[in-house]
Amino acid sequence: MGLIRLLVFGFLGLSVAYLAISFYSRSIRKEKLEDRWVEDHPGDGDSPEREAFIHDGMVEYQSGIRPKLILLVYVIPALAALLLLYLINFF
Amino acid sequence: MTYLKWTLRATVAIVMFLLLHYTLPQHDIVRVVNTYQERQDLNDWTRVFWAKPDDQSAELVNRDVQFIQTVRRKSSLLGFVVHNREEPMVFRNEDTGWSWPPYFKFDTANLQTQADDLRSTPEEPKWAVMTHYGWRNELISVFPNAVAIKPIDGPDARVIPWFNIFFFVFLVIAVLFVRAMWRQFRERSIDPALNEAGEAWDRVDARADEAKGRFGRWIDSWRSKPKR
Repeated sequence: MGLIRLLVFGFLGLSVAYLAISFYSRSIRKEKLEDRWVEDHPGDGDSPEREAFIHDGMVEYQSGIRPKLILLVYVIPALAALLLLYLINFF
Repeated sequence: MTYLKWTLRATVAIVMFLLLHYTLPQHDIVRVVNTYQERQDLNDWTRVFWAKPDDQSAELVNRDVQFIQTVRRKSSLLGFVVHNREEPMVFRNEDTGWSWPPYFKFDTANLQTQADDLRSTPEEPKWAVMTHYGWRNELISVFPNAVAIKPIDGPDARVIPWFNIFFFVFLVIAVLFVRAMWRQFRERSIDPALNEAGEAWDRVDARADEAKGRFGRWIDSWRSKPKR
């Protein structure tokens, strides 16, 4: 029961962290794309080409490695807990 | 307002310090004198200072708890300065199981055996490093919980708190990361929304001014000027 409680609340807590970090990472990428567009097309604030450029960049980001790396938010604490369990009890 | 802000900050800082001071591991240089087991009553508020090894123990009014009696080297400044004097220290030895604090300690019986094995006399002392968390308070009978014991050569051994070093490095990184996340969120999501709302309000205001017409403006001219 204690283990189930730990798993449920741990999963909920880490999910909050996962969503927050995903949101942050997307926001950073979008800002970079916007900055790059402004560098190449000074003065172009909101044209359809700009929208398409940012949209394509975000699609590319979604299929890249970075969103998958954020899943480590679940993996690392689980491994840390297992390591701690081993060191405390069996080392 | 300033007082309120600083009182609030100080309270948060003190609570955080106490929480970490209770929960993080500390190391004592000890000599085990004896171990014993004693029935403990657990039905008042000091229950928070005893562990919950498993689910049935959460309901129990009393149960047996194992203890390790030691003589330890006195220390101050969070254990960084170890003195040449000795003082008695009694540890409880309880499983933390899967509950708080997250030590995942299940080897209470083994630890008790190791402690028994290290028992020694003042004439022929066997020194050991006791890792523990929690506080000792004589008035309300609170004991720190022993987590691990390791024999050492002499009482002058230097213990490097690796876990705490990693913990605080991680904590600083986490705080900076959360701050960066919050700034990004404010810059990209909250401020644009506020600007949008401000512009929408200005439009509403302008339309209202137009609708009032000449008569309204003449009435307005009798009113005092809006304060800036």
